[in-house]
Amino acid sequence: MKMRRGFSWLRLSAMALTLLLLPACSGRRSEPLRGKLDVTDPKVSHGQMIYMEKCDKCHPSGDGGLGPALNNKPLPGFLIAFQARHGLGAMPSFAGDALSKSDLEDLADYLKALRLN
Amino acid sequence: MPVSPARADHDPVKPSSGPTTPIPVLRCLSGLVLTGCLLGCLSGFLMGCYAVRPSQGGGNVSAQEARRCAPRDIALPAGYRIEVVANGLTFPTAVVFDDNGGLYVVEGGYAYGEEWDQPGLVRVAKVAGRNTFVPIAVGDSNGPWTGVTYAPGEDGIPGHGSFFLAEGGQLRGGRILRIGMDGRSQPLVEGLPSYGDHHTNGPVLGPDGMLYFGQGTATNSGVVGEDSHRSGWLARNRTFHDTPCQDISLSGVNYRTPDPFSPGTRRETVETGGFRPFGSKSTAGQIIKGEIPCNGSIMRVSRKGGKPELVAWGFRNPFAMTFAPDGRFFAIDNGYDDRGSRPVWGAGELLWEVQKGTWYGWPDYSGSKSLDHAEFTPPHGERPQRLLDKGPGPWLPIHTLKASPPPAVTSQDGPPVPAAVLPVHASADGLDFSRSDAFGYRGQAFVAEFGDMAPSVGKVLEPVGFKVVRVDIQRGVAEDFAVNGKGAGPASRLRTGGLERPVSLRFNPDGSSLYVVDFGVLAVSDQGPRPERRTGVIWRIWKEKK
Repeated sequence: MKMRRGFSWLRLSAMALTLLLLPACSGRRSEPLRGKLDVTDPKVSHGQMIYMEKCDKCHPSGDGGLGPALNNKPLPGFLIAFQARHGLGAMPSFAGDALSKSDLEDLADYLKALRLN
Repeated sequence: MPVSPARADHDPVKPSSGPTTPIPVLRCLSGLVLTGCLLGCLSGFLMGCYAVRPSQGGGNVSAQEARRCAPRDIALPAGYRIEVVANGLTFPTAVVFDDNGGLYVVEGGYAYGEEWDQPGLVRVAKVAGRNTFVPIAVGDSNGPWTGVTYAPGEDGIPGHGSFFLAEGGQLRGGRILRIGMDGRSQPLVEGLPSYGDHHTNGPVLGPDGMLYFGQGTATNSGVVGEDSHRSGWLARNRTFHDTPCQDISLSGVNYRTPDPFSPGTRRETVETGGFRPFGSKSTAGQIIKGEIPCNGSIMRVSRKGGKPELVAWGFRNPFAMTFAPDGRFFAIDNGYDDRGSRPVWGAGELLWEVQKGTWYGWPDYSGSKSLDHAEFTPPHGERPQRLLDKGPGPWLPIHTLKASPPPAVTSQDGPPVPAAVLPVHASADGLDFSRSDAFGYRGQAFVAEFGDMAPSVGKVLEPVGFKVVRVDIQRGVAEDFAVNGKGAGPASRLRTGGLERPVSLRFNPDGSSLYVVDFGVLAVSDQGPRPERRTGVIWRIWKEKK
């Protein structure tokens, strides 16, 4: 029990430290630098199109621009969906009529694929 | 930091310590608080605090060094190579080929920051193994020359054709010029409304033999303001403002700004309405008569000159346009800035498929979205209000330049959906289509992104643009093609020999090489832009044969 609690705190601390340090890392993942992104998965392909329509203008290719970089933040899919649905600060929210649940899932799949490129 | 067992033993939420009743509640509460904090931290890190973060535009360069060119500093997809064709140019804006394959470069003669030079058209000729510039024609101080096209002569003999140039017309109005191979110049259209923020652009030769050209708007979003004075043109021309292409009815919204012309140190304020001169109010329902030529438009004219005809309007600054291999007509349009009396935040650069007889949304839409949507409200700023009380809608029955269905229209009077949306402030300026398997990506659009001019245009958290992207127009997906390897931003900021500010591009006649025009160094600070002469470069990109 003690081990589990200790591990949990350790993990949380590590996550916080990672989040603190990661913005300093490059988020650049585009084809000239990392090779072509595999978008043969239809969900990733659809997610890419959603991303281009809704997100790319502020986070070009997942990198920073008007908004911060996304590629260098290891967010799980549900948090990506949460952020897109609810927005925060300067970022607008995308309600259900703008982004369906399946759109959000595909968007998260694309961002995860891009992060791994 | 590891948690010590001794502390864990005294943990108040540990099940074995203390009374049993409040522990599950406390655990639950602490879990909720922890989860909330974690979500808050994650969201906080994701977004940062936008307001307090400084702008990190690519033009934020303090010390200038002599520009060097190093192709190895530019990253390309596997199998592609890049080389320098010419350098030392002053504000180059375009390249073109004649029907002998000769390469010509336009030097603009003007750059933002009110830097004036003599515009010119030069031929790039190889002399003793080195590329040199042979002058063909020079203009006077009415730049910038923004674009060029070449049309073969009527006799069909190579080398007997003519160049057609767009003269930006910052001082005396825009013109479309015909320039012979002997350098003699003849204006085909004059007096275009180019005295403001944006100029006369293009031209391109259409399949109908007509010259299609763009005309940018006078202002950022329809209202002449302090930013117009800062950029220099309002002091030269106090009555200049945007002219619509068809009759419009105004909503009566006015914007109050300090009056830069008020005497003394105390600034008085004035109110200005859309499509009105500085300090002139609009009223609800006021009709502004449309005229041709007009702002924010694409027009066409015969190669022999004459009265321009309207093709489409509602653009902001259609800087480049081209006909795709399948005959469809596309234009790249610079998005709104977060500046001036009516700032607009988060508006992307737009790639349009242009349909004759269509209004594309300026000054009340970005793409198909109305500016009164929260998405376009500057942080801690006011939501832009609509200037028109209704969209003007099509003024002719929509018919296309090529037989294909008209684009989707979101509402009865709204503009169509763009073919692609490119990053905010990227300044997407150059456009051409790959036509050859020798180069690859056949049928895709290539776009030169000049790069942000932050902080003059608004704030960015990281440099935007300064690269070449390719766009799959069927899917609306843009992907990097040529970027600086070391990081985001221009070479002067990265202190490398890579790309600075790609402003236009063009495939050579056989389509095997892409020529990229790099405008050169243009630093930007709170005091405005600072362009550097003789830093322009022409790059050539090609695909290695297997």
